[in-house]
Amino acid sequence: MTGDVGVLASNGCHIFNGCGFPAPGLQDFMWKPLFTIGSFGFTKPMLLAILAALVVIVFFWAAFRKPKLVPRGVQNLGELAILGIRDQILRPSLGRRGDSYLPLLVSLFFFIYVMNVMELIPLLQFPVTSRIGFVWPLVFIVYFLYLYLGVKHQGAWGYLRNMIPPGVPWPIYIILVPVELLRFFVFQPFTLGVRLFGNMFAGHLLLTIFTIATWYLLSLSVGLLYAAGSFALAIFIFVLETLVTFLQAFIFTTLTATYIAASVEPAH
Amino acid sequence: MSEHGDDAVTRARKQAAAQGRAQGLEVGWTVFSYLLAGMAAYGGVGWLIGRAVHIPLLFPVGMLVGMAISLAYIIHRYGRQGSPGGVRGDGSPRDRREITGDR
Repeated sequence: MTGDVGVLASNGCHIFNGCGFPAPGLQDFMWKPLFTIGSFGFTKPMLLAILAALVVIVFFWAAFRKPKLVPRGVQNLGELAILGIRDQILRPSLGRRGDSYLPLLVSLFFFIYVMNVMELIPLLQFPVTSRIGFVWPLVFIVYFLYLYLGVKHQGAWGYLRNMIPPGVPWPIYIILVPVELLRFFVFQPFTLGVRLFGNMFAGHLLLTIFTIATWYLLSLSVGLLYAAGSFALAIFIFVLETLVTFLQAFIFTTLTATYIAASVEPAH
Repeated sequence: MSEHGDDAVTRARKQAAAQGRAQGLEVGWTVFSYLLAGMAAYGGVGWLIGRAVHIPLLFPVGMLVGMAISLAYIIHRYGRQGSPGGVRGDGSPRDRREITGDR
C-alpha cells in the first residue's frame, strides 16, 4: 500500500489527469532494499518481521520480568494472552500433557499475529506474511517438529503405518498409500503455509485497491459518490482484516497444535 | 445450581466449544488436503502412463479417478461424524480420534 499510495500522491495520478487506474498488483509486494550489504538487500518486510519479533519479546519480557502472585498492569495482559492460547488452542488438542508446548504455541501465535497486524498500522501498513518467504520457515519449523515427535513417539514404521486407520482391507491400502503420503508430506504443510499467505496477500490487495480508488476517483463532481463508495469499502475491508489477521494466526496455531497431538498420540 | 457449579458448567461448555473448533479446523483442512493429494497422486500416475502410451487424456482421467478415491475415502473416514453429539451408544463421549479415526 505504501508504495502505490506514495507513488500516486507524488505523481498526482488521477482520473482527470488522463492517466489510467494504477491497478495494484504483484509490484506492491516487491520492495526496493532499504540498504544493501554486498549482494544482500534489506527490505521493509524484513524490517517489519524483526520489529514483530521485538514487539513479542519486549511485551512478554515486560509482562514477566518481575512476576507477582497477584498480577498487575502488563502482567495481567501477558497472563491473559498465555491463558487464552492455553485454553483455546493447546488444551483442546493436546490436553494437560501438552503444556510443555505452550511456549512454542504462544510465540508462534503472537509472532504471526503481530506480523499480520502490521497491515493495519499506519506507515507500516504491510502484512509481512503476504510474502510467502516469511511463511515457509514457520511451516518448516512446525513440519519438522511434528515429524520428529511422530517418529519419537511412534517409531518411524509405526508412524507411517498409523497414517491409514486400521481395519482397511489390504488392496485398499495400495490405493490409499500414494494419497496418504502426498497428503501428509506435501499437501498438509503446503495448505498450512499457503492459507496464511493467501489470506494476507488477498486482504492487502483489496485494501490497496479501494484506498487507491478512493483517491483516484475523488473530485467535486459525481465522482465524489464513487470515491465515497470506494472509501466505505476500504473501511469495510479494514474492519474485516482486523478479524482476518487474528483468525489466520489462530488457525495456524490451532492446526500446529492438532498436528503435534496427532504425532504424540499413537493410533487407537 | 450453586455459583461454583455454574462456573464449572460454563467452563466445561467453553472447553467443549474450543475442542469442537479445533477438531473442525483439523478435519476441514485434512479433507481439503486429501482432495488435492488424490488428484495429484493419480493425476501424476495418469500423466506418466499417458506419456508412455501417448494418450494425453489419461492425465485428466487420472485426476478424476484420484478425486473419486479421495472422496470415497473422506466419506469412509469422516462420514460417521454425524452421529449425534459424538457420543457412544452408552452415552459416554467419544474421543476425538475415535470420531475422526485419526492418529
